[in-house]
Amino acid sequence: MTAQAPTAAQRRGVERTATLRVDWPLCEARGLCAELLPERVGLDEWGYPVVTGRVPERLLGLAREAVAACPRQALRLIQS
Amino acid sequence: MTAVENGPLLLAHLTDGPGYAAHQARFGPLPKADLGAIVAAADAVAVRGRGGAGFPFAVKLQTASRAGRRTVLVVNAAEGEPASWKDSSLAQVVPHKVLDGPVVVAAALRVREVHIVTPVERPEVGASLRAAVDERRSAGERLRWTFHEAQPRFVAGQARAVLELMAGRENLPVTAWQPEAVAGHRGRPTLLSNAETWAHVGALVRLGPDAYAAYGRDGHNPGTTLLTLGGDGDAVVREVAAGTPWTEVLTADQLSRPVLTGGYHGTWAPSGALATLTVSRSEMAAQGLALGAGVVITSAPTACPVERTLRIVDYLAGESARRCGPCRNGLPALAGSLRSVVDGIGQLGRVRQLLDIVERRGACAHPDGTARLVRSLLTAVPEEVDAHLGGWCGYRAPTRPLSLAGAV
Repeated sequence: MTAQAPTAAQRRGVERTATLRVDWPLCEARGLCAELLPERVGLDEWGYPVVTGRVPERLLGLAREAVAACPRQALRLIQS
Repeated sequence: MTAVENGPLLLAHLTDGPGYAAHQARFGPLPKADLGAIVAAADAVAVRGRGGAGFPFAVKLQTASRAGRRTVLVVNAAEGEPASWKDSSLAQVVPHKVLDGPVVVAAALRVREVHIVTPVERPEVGASLRAAVDERRSAGERLRWTFHEAQPRFVAGQARAVLELMAGRENLPVTAWQPEAVAGHRGRPTLLSNAETWAHVGALVRLGPDAYAAYGRDGHNPGTTLLTLGGDGDAVVREVAAGTPWTEVLTADQLSRPVLTGGYHGTWAPSGALATLTVSRSEMAAQGLALGAGVVITSAPTACPVERTLRIVDYLAGESARRCGPCRNGLPALAGSLRSVVDGIGQLGRVRQLLDIVERRGACAHPDGTARLVRSLLTAVPEEVDAHLGGWCGYRAPTRPLSLAGAV
């Protein structure tokens, strides 16, 4: 992996991160989120997402794709 | 059947009966209080939610009053946990003390809409509160009361499940993206509190913070707490001063064995652990123990806590709303792994793996509460757990292997 140039936020010393939250009653373990964002989403033994840690700025684009791709609309990205 | 004992504050003067005339004769008219005074008083004596989560009432009230739309008040007497009887008891023996809370807060917020949620499987609770509301209507009080009946299941009293019920949908938890106090019933700010919490708010406004605090055992623990004491035989609902030593609540014999505090979502206190503690949410939390909604279950001398926990986890797995995958799949698997341990053929590693899988992965706290119970078992009675892992149970005849126990 090649080193990335620091973003504007990183140069200021603050990084915009976000949290992925699953709407559990809606989730039906389709698993697209884990395919699109394996850096932050694994699957448990029944195929339900296991979110590991906050989403750093460099992964925000992929996280938004995962949110948009969820066929159940069961994934949300909470900016903070 | 449940026995209700006379208590110092909320359960005082039980011989007066539940009527409004007696309530008014003894306590007089409800004082008017403005919002700032109620928030300040609740903050001063640290009124916390008595449904189990223990959230500060003052914060909730302040949030609900700031949202810019008319606040909806909800008295939650659903008490979904079958081992808990304190809200049902309050509603039956002192319904007007429960209603004083929403009446005084509704006036302070200048709102009129109050919802009351009662358990359908305990119809006497709803009947008592309805009769009390009718008395107040006859006396000219002008709030709009709406009654709802919660379904007979463990998670039906959970806040979001109650809001679903009020909205006419299935009485099951959904994901909360915002606190109810910000966006609850029909998107409006909603002050949803447990029946006991409302009764404390009413008593606090009537007494003022200093006199209310004086009902506690010391300066650190103001007011009182309701407990449901269970174990063998009938449950007893008892009101105790906050900060009362557990040695005054339970017998030395009961304290010498493991005690389950905080109910089915609670924690096992190791043998003797409560003997040096008091009925204090914060003091118990510092020892990793839950007070929850005040359910305390003692153990008979012959009762194995490992087997007792398995029966509870089996029950809780069956009480999953079955909407969230990790709970629907994980809790039965957890119960199965615990059964294997009880039967002497299991591995603790599998139990711990499932605890990690279910925690914080649901719309409500049902999986977290179940995991809390199992984790506390592993830390509170490690010798009993080890005995089972080795194929034995110290509570049975010591020379008999478990594998034969069921075959004889």
